[in-house]
Amino acid sequence: MNLNVDIGIKISNPFILASGILDENGYTMKRILENGAAAVVTKSIGTSERQGYNPPIIYENDPVFLNAVGLSNPGIDNFKDEVKIALESGRPVIGSIFGKDAPEFSELAKKMESYGVSAIELNLSCPHVNGYGMEVGSDPDLVYEIVSEVKSRVKIPVFSKLSPNTSNILEEAKAAEKSDALVLINTLKGMEIDIASKKPVLSNVYGGLSGKCIKPVGIRYVYEVKKETGKTVIGVGGIENVNDAIEYIMAGASAVQIGTAIYRHGIKIFNELNSGLIEYMDKNGISNINDMIGVAIA
Amino acid sequence: MNHSIVYSNVRINESTHSLRFFMESPVHPGQFIMIWAPGIGEIPISFSSVNNPVEITVKIYGEPSKYIANLMPGEKIFYRGPYGRPFTGVTGKKLIIGAGTGIAPLMPLVDNMTSAILSAKTKNDLIFTDRIKNLYVVTDDGTLGIKGFAVDALKQMDINEFDMIYVCGPEIMMKSVYDYLLNKTDRVEFSLERPMKCGIGICDSCSINGIQVCRDGPVFSIKDLKNMDEFGRTRLSFSGKRIYL
Ligand SMILES: Cc1cc2nc3c(=O)[nH]c(=O)nc-3n(C[C@H](O)[C@H](O)[C@H](O)COP(=O)(O)O)c2cc1C
Ligand code: FES
Repeated sequence: MNLNVDIGIKISNPFILASGILDENGYTMKRILENGAAAVVTKSIGTSERQGYNPPIIYENDPVFLNAVGLSNPGIDNFKDEVKIALESGRPVIGSIFGKDAPEFSELAKKMESYGVSAIELNLSCPHVNGYGMEVGSDPDLVYEIVSEVKSRVKIPVFSKLSPNTSNILEEAKAAEKSDALVLINTLKGMEIDIASKKPVLSNVYGGLSGKCIKPVGIRYVYEVKKETGKTVIGVGGIENVNDAIEYIMAGASAVQIGTAIYRHGIKIFNELNSGLIEYMDKNGISNINDMIGVAIA
Repeated sequence: MNHSIVYSNVRINESTHSLRFFMESPVHPGQFIMIWAPGIGEIPISFSSVNNPVEITVKIYGEPSKYIANLMPGEKIFYRGPYGRPFTGVTGKKLIIGAGTGIAPLMPLVDNMTSAILSAKTKNDLIFTDRIKNLYVVTDDGTLGIKGFAVDALKQMDINEFDMIYVCGPEIMMKSVYDYLLNKTDRVEFSLERPMKCGIGICDSCSINGIQVCRDGPVFSIKDLKNMDEFGRTRLSFSGKRIYL
């Protein structure tokens, strides 16, 4: 049975840890890589140290899961040792980065590459310098410029993680066409208010919605982008079990990322997904995972 | 978000308050909750009593703890949890070793078979000395009890007397107790204190050697800690920067 997939880098199964969940400490990434994840994406790293928002940074009320971490990170220079620890696992690390413009993204990508990561993931859901809650991903010209410049500066594959908080994700996908793979989707903007205190539940007021309630949105974007662009797609958003993962693969994803579900299932979810996938393929007489990619696309 | 009504608020020293309120879900010694100060912040707090009305003990050191410490009876207290793996209960003789606010989470373990080493910087920082009969007090400055650290008092005791030893306080203090007890006994549990942002095993801020203190802990046995070389050595700061203790 073949579980290997090619997303620009070859990985031993389709299950990857999503950016921002248990991927700030090198030892945690290492443990996850040693427990079934084919690769991990690091937390999004910027040029300098950032404290992020004050807690509450997460709000959970099943099936709602909101977060507003505020891109807290130690800064690229301090992150070198964490990547090094994670790489002791012998498995690939994908370096996620965020910046305000193409030169900043390129600088970060070059440093990540020098740390030994296998690929770069551009977090295009980070704030646009124009402000007003706009995200980099909603500016196609900027996306094009960032992707082109990063691609020309590093040798390793570059993935673009698209923001669903835009009026036209296909436009964003086309602007990011030079990437080796597209990652869909990041969190959807949302908020909740606690009626007993009459206050927003997150200190930043607005947050990103993730987990099982966003799965239909993720499936739709993966399907649409795969169908319209034919590019390699990595699916992410609300994957809780192997059936969700298979759904993403059938919609056109070559691999999937798992984030929020770790809250309910723990790190062991990666081993469970692997054994669940093998069982599914066995039962359905599928010997190669690649035969499942995009089969639902009409 | 859950909320309850504050039942009582007692100031136990200059900057520390004990609040009681009723909780629906059962709470076990060693567990914690995330308490929300709406519009201000959110902090993890452990229980100093787990029987209804449960009790939390807060030391004021920032805006959220100041808000919580000043909640008056009748006011709403907002929280999520309880979270975390509790202490293992034993019926025999117990020793608790607590330093600073680390004394509070050990309080639910106290019964008439419990001895305690309580340590603090200075006399005025000591809390709950009235709740324990077999008490050994240690202060950094010698204003009360032995002058020195918790481990100095421990060294004068016969540890074989105890069926279980429970430790909580700053990691450096716990590391010195760990180093002393290592290879002497396996019947020791430590409650770790690390920065917690999410409390539910998602954000990685509390992690130690890939293990989430908020979810897999905060209580770890001395055996668990043998495999964690980050213990007493390094942790991540609030931003995620590695700090050497
Ligand atoms: C707490 C939290 C932090 C996140 N931080 C990042 C981040 O730093 N960079 C990023 O690209 N995505 C980040 N995400 C988005 C996830 O990588 C993922 O795209 C999204 O949560 C949907 O997947 P899920 O439903 O499996 O969590 C974060 C998500 C959560 C829940
Ligand atoms: S506090 Fe977030 S993982 Fe423990």
